Amino acid sequence: MLRFDLYAAGVIAPGVNSLDELLAMRRSGPLPSVAGIELPSPKSLPANERRRASQVVRLTLACAEQALEASPFAVEQLRMVFASDEGTGEVCQQMLESLATTRAVSPLVFHNSVHNAPSGYFSIGHQNQQSAVSVSLGHESFASGLLCAVAEAQTSGQPVLFLSYDASMPEPLRGVLPIAQATATAWIIASALQPMCGRPPIARFDVELCDAIADADDATPDWMPAGWSSNSSAEAFRVLAMLDGRDATCEMPLGAQRLRVTRVSEFSEAAAC
Amino acid sequence: MLGIAAFSTLHAAGVDNPGSWQAIVAGQSGLKSNALPWCDLTCWLGEVAGVDDSPLPAELAAWDCRTHRLAWMALQRNRFQEAVAASAARYGAKRIGIILGSSTAGIRSTELAYTRQRSDGHWPDDFDYRRTHSLDALCRFSAAALGLQGPMVTISTACSSSSKVFVMAQRWIDCGLIDAAVVGGVDSLCMSTLYGFNSLQLLSGDICRPFDAARSGISIGEAAGFVLLDKQSAAINFIGGGESSDAWHMSTPHPEGIGAQGAMRAALQAAQLAASDIGYVNAHGTATLANDRAEAAATAAVFGAGQVPVSSTKGVTGHTLGAAGITEAIAVIQTLEHQTLPPSANLRSAEADLQIDVVTSPRHATLHHAMSNSFGFGGSNCSLIFGRAS
Repeated sequence: MLRFDLYAAGVIAPGVNSLDELLAMRRSGPLPSVAGIELPSPKSLPANERRRASQVVRLTLACAEQALEASPFAVEQLRMVFASDEGTGEVCQQMLESLATTRAVSPLVFHNSVHNAPSGYFSIGHQNQQSAVSVSLGHESFASGLLCAVAEAQTSGQPVLFLSYDASMPEPLRGVLPIAQATATAWIIASALQPMCGRPPIARFDVELCDAIADADDATPDWMPAGWSSNSSAEAFRVLAMLDGRDATCEMPLGAQRLRVTRVSEFSEAAAC
Repeated sequence: MLGIAAFSTLHAAGVDNPGSWQAIVAGQSGLKSNALPWCDLTCWLGEVAGVDDSPLPAELAAWDCRTHRLAWMALQRNRFQEAVAASAARYGAKRIGIILGSSTAGIRSTELAYTRQRSDGHWPDDFDYRRTHSLDALCRFSAAALGLQGPMVTISTACSSSSKVFVMAQRWIDCGLIDAAVVGGVDSLCMSTLYGFNSLQLLSGDICRPFDAARSGISIGEAAGFVLLDKQSAAINFIGGGESSDAWHMSTPHPEGIGAQGAMRAALQAAQLAASDIGYVNAHGTATLANDRAEAAATAAVFGAGQVPVSSTKGVTGHTLGAAGITEAIAVIQTLEHQTLPPSANLRSAEADLQIDVVTSPRHATLHHAMSNSFGFGGSNCSLIFGRAS
């Protein structure tokens, strides 16, 4: 069992633009259908990169900014774990289209087509030279990524920025990977074994692997738009929504096992420095 | 520290462990002038022979794609499956993690299907995105092939992907999540990387010549490699790894290799070793102008000018991208086993300004520790240190 502290969180989805708005949705149910998201151009990037930033880079950097605003840690201190299913959205489509026609792939599209493009841009934008890893496990990318992030926080003793996100897929790729709307969460976490200086965490969680069960109900909860069920990063909403206080535990598949995340309801605040 | 319980490597110059080492230590290149019917670029390629004639067994046929065929070839050879089975018998199938790296996974399948989709408006019935191109496919295929049930993850950080798998395995084992891990990586030839690197003017028309004065870019190869890591130490061990970010540019390294220096120093720190303890560095050494210059500068900064023997084995295997980390980690494991430093293949005349000791012919050495470097797009750097039990 691994125990970690959450210090700050960012949430972006259609109609949801903060952790508080996610918790409001947890209380009141799904919002009326919202078509999409207007993503700001990332202000941390140099002007030339800002203009050319892909949708997924805008999504991840905007979501990270939300968490950074409430983070007690210097941004250059944060190790980076980014998790996504497909991870590049329209960039993959642009490359496939070029290859199927002129074969003249744009150099920009090619270097933006790597799964770790968002973490690369984040490190550039914030001059962060820490370790950065980009991971995936298909629809279980959030579960797998959270395990990576918590293990890194525990073994390094340093705070970690964990991003879980899915860019919307354009047609025709949406036909094989039906992600219609972008969703993202950003987490600033640290191991609960090493209390961090400064502000106390906003929540504490335990993470553990447990056995698969035959009749598991992993359906998207009714307080979330059903259309997000294809998004691996929507699983993160279920975990963050535990801050609302109604649910104390949440499970999801991870390979042949399951990942169980439990909210620790009572904990002493971080030791003073 | 993690023990190397078993490994299996496969690339254009060698299709099993002995064959691979024979080619690498002799500097015998597996690269050939491009003759792919679907690629009209003037370049050299490291293509594994016989993949088209090696279908997957019936029970795994749903996963069929070039990437998984390469994986299957490597998993079957060098008694790797047997070693994993023994480990599973010892620890339990749930206690063995699967941590694999890939840059493009089975994107070649999507490239082919996309063209058909474009012509008639329908994705072909026989195209299964989830079991080919999806980044998790390699983990799930490998779990099915090996009968494992442990936690899994695919790392995709371009050309450092299958180097970082060692560091993640160490974390998971240190946290007690698993007792052993199958780490590795696979990438296969596809249009995306060939035309993509060509667009960046990084694809050489000549055979790649790492550290040569006249080098002109990379030659792309394909490979599969797997290592079984165990919490118990062995004759050869993974001692520690270090990671860093350049925070500089998406596809160009920092000119002084600041990030590369950070990764090498972090690896030394994790291994609790001094620079002078390292007897050989298997360089990332892609043969682009920028990489080799930055890496040489970084290596000289960490070890002192000319203080450690360096070579790149990419002249033999080609740059196998998401599989480069594992392929070269295994080359370092074999270097420690055989106590012979492999040369930088295809080298005619080393660039004079590079302040490194480039190994130009096989060199016997008394070697205790050796390093492997991998750097990728996004400024993603990883250095690994392996050691021989004393």
